Amino acid sequence: MSQNKKHLDFELNLIPFIDLLSTCICFLLLTAVWINVGSMNVKQAVGGQPASETVKKPILWVFLGDKGEMTLETRDAQSMPANMRKLKLAGADGKTNWIQLASQLDLMKKTEPELKTALIQPRAQTSYEDIIDLMDQFKKSGLGDLGVVPL
Amino acid sequence: MIKQNIIANTALSSPIASASFLNPQGKKWRKTLAADLLLTALIDAFSILVIFLLMNFSSNGEILFMSKDMELPKAAQGEILERNPVIKVEEGKIFLEEKMLTAEGLIAELIEMRKAFKSTHPAGEEMPATITVQADRRTKYEALNQIVLACAHAGFSDLKFAILMK
Repeated sequence: MSQNKKHLDFELNLIPFIDLLSTCICFLLLTAVWINVGSMNVKQAVGGQPASETVKKPILWVFLGDKGEMTLETRDAQSMPANMRKLKLAGADGKTNWIQLASQLDLMKKTEPELKTALIQPRAQTSYEDIIDLMDQFKKSGLGDLGVVPL
Repeated sequence: MIKQNIIANTALSSPIASASFLNPQGKKWRKTLAADLLLTALIDAFSILVIFLLMNFSSNGEILFMSKDMELPKAAQGEILERNPVIKVEEGKIFLEEKMLTAEGLIAELIEMRKAFKSTHPAGEEMPATITVQADRRTKYEALNQIVLACAHAGFSDLKFAILMK
């Protein structure tokens, strides 16, 4: 009886397993990338095609102002009511009013579903972070084709 | 009594064990030393570590070199960054692949880069019109404007602004 038990209980050699795991941990720790870098893609107009040849799509122009103010101007949007084509959004505490902007963009998308392009016109003093935040908000609202206008 | 297994043998005949002031060679300490070596918990911890590190593993490696003063802006809607020529703005200076340039020099260098690509690809393959732009989050647009203009002049239409994923 006791002999049978001895046969069943075999010793698993754990040392090579620990070695393997330690090597794996060392390799993964050395090659780990801790910062998750991504990119915000922007398509710029390069070169020239005659304006008459290009298909006119609705474009949202965004003019950034002082203290979080901005002007939203929609061009070539046929189904957009005239009172929505040019809007001025005031800032909140010197920064962009994100809630107002998001609700306005949602309303614009509902009125003009073809609106997918936004061109941002920053000022010389606009920070890179503000531009990226704005692009992030546009992408969230479904405006995927973004561009920045040079000064 | 202690079973004659590998772990018990390793533990008891190790140099640490023999040098211990607790005198593990004595009958009383032999028992304690072998019983304390619970390898299952260690393997559990190691396995969890390996799984965590494997989940973080990136085959792309580090594409951008960032100095300690540089902070990228954060965004949630970003895409995966690929390897492209990198233009960096640091303390008002412009670098193309770590080479410091002026705004005018940048245009010339970008055009030169396109020409060099064409000469190494005789099949007529065009260089991808993509550039990665890396800048600190506090950088003003007047500094980035030079890059936007230079890229437009040199025919690079796709700009990828480097960000940190939220």
